[in-house]
Amino acid sequence: MRIPYFDFRAPSTLEEALSIMDDYKGGARVLAGGTDLIPIMKYGLDAPDTIMSLKKITDLRGIKLENKELNIGAMTPLADLLSSHIIKENFRALHQAVEAVAAPPIWNVATIGGNICQNSRCFYYNQSKTWRIERPPCLKAGGNACYAVPKGKKCFSVYSGDLAPALIALKSSVFVERKGRSRILSLQNIFSGNGTAPFTLEKEELLTSIIVPLPDKGTGSSYVKMRFRPSVDYPLLSVAASVSLDGSKKIKETTLVLGAVGPAPVVVAAAGKLLRGGTKDTVDFDALGEILRKGTQMVDNLALPGSYRRKMIPVIAKKAIRAAIE
Amino acid sequence: MKKSQKQLISLKINGQEYELAIHPNRTLLEVLREDLTLTGTKEGCDDGVCGTCTVLLNGAPIRSCLYLAIEAQGKEVTTIEGLAEGERLHPIQQAFIEHGAIQCGYCSPGMILTAKALLDKNPTPTEQDIKLAIAGNFCRCTGYNKIVTAIKAGCQNAEEVNNHG
Repeated sequence: MRIPYFDFRAPSTLEEALSIMDDYKGGARVLAGGTDLIPIMKYGLDAPDTIMSLKKITDLRGIKLENKELNIGAMTPLADLLSSHIIKENFRALHQAVEAVAAPPIWNVATIGGNICQNSRCFYYNQSKTWRIERPPCLKAGGNACYAVPKGKKCFSVYSGDLAPALIALKSSVFVERKGRSRILSLQNIFSGNGTAPFTLEKEELLTSIIVPLPDKGTGSSYVKMRFRPSVDYPLLSVAASVSLDGSKKIKETTLVLGAVGPAPVVVAAAGKLLRGGTKDTVDFDALGEILRKGTQMVDNLALPGSYRRKMIPVIAKKAIRAAIE
Repeated sequence: MKKSQKQLISLKINGQEYELAIHPNRTLLEVLREDLTLTGTKEGCDDGVCGTCTVLLNGAPIRSCLYLAIEAQGKEVTTIEGLAEGERLHPIQQAFIEHGAIQCGYCSPGMILTAKALLDKNPTPTEQDIKLAIAGNFCRCTGYNKIVTAIKAGCQNAEEVNNHG
């Protein structure tokens, strides 16, 4: 499979990169590690005129803990996140999420920014050109049909990143820059919920760093992923949990985030209310399961049916909450 | 179809410098196999899943099918051709032969390079370390046990070579 031709830009400073983004008005596709974009281009799903690689911008790499905030450069490779003791000891859900991404050769190249900004996936979209050519294009490919939900009018492609659910559970924000301007927004707000265009970032904007507040003492977190083969597969479902306990070991606050359920990670607000005041042994997982199952819509667009994946939400959520409390 | 300009790039592969004129869309795997006839690096899924195209970039295993050749400039690339010293095989290559860890041989270059990277970082890996290191390399013949055994033995071979020269 050949990658279509493109012009290649590799700025060595952030200023230069932001100028290119501004000049091309979104026409320059950003290449971070490339482990998501390169297969997409090989499959003919994207054929940008220009690729802008960020690998030479060393300022975008690094992990710093300052003033109770962890700051991670968007181009930091997953391997660096895994070997960070700060992350392993204080941000367990993030560590577990990175571990859950594919295998070591991917960790050496893939980046945190690239993992967050990966495109959503669907069984009917992420296929070779030869496979797709047999039917008219789907909604995500710019057509009018949905093959996952016949007569469906919106795209149900699944956001399959592992890091974002964990980072949302840890209350992360992202620093987004464009030429002459910058803004900080909560990570959850970069997701549009629309499968055809999963992100809210403007065309000229670049996600440059991730900010994760240091959890209080008494707060634990975890990330649990369901997939067939741990070394290669995207999640069929994942749950990130962050649970804070008070002095008497009662649950004070819970953030539960579902991954791989739809075009964006889903924060289950009702879980916090239900779990408050309980302990590890008194949590009503059956009631929680009902809330999770009823509140989530999943369709048949991954390797397992939506109905099965929906039934598994309470199971995976229970594991994640228990692991976060321990 | 739009066709961009070729660019002059220089790559350092197995210690040797190469100057090439390539289109930026070429992957490192394509350039190694097609332009430099370093066909020891295999093409499998071409999709970043199977690990047969593994090469070392600055000593760390990567998928060469997912890496643009133009981005490998300024880095040290090691392919399976760069492991033996003349007729003398690398201790891990020798161990793969001695322990029957090769059947069809298609995954072997990737497996051996991944094992070399592990050994360079950790000369005495546990079985779990070995299994994690090769988690991204698929083998459809041996069932992995012989590969794990060979890597363990390769680590011991390497230690003996280092001790006795």
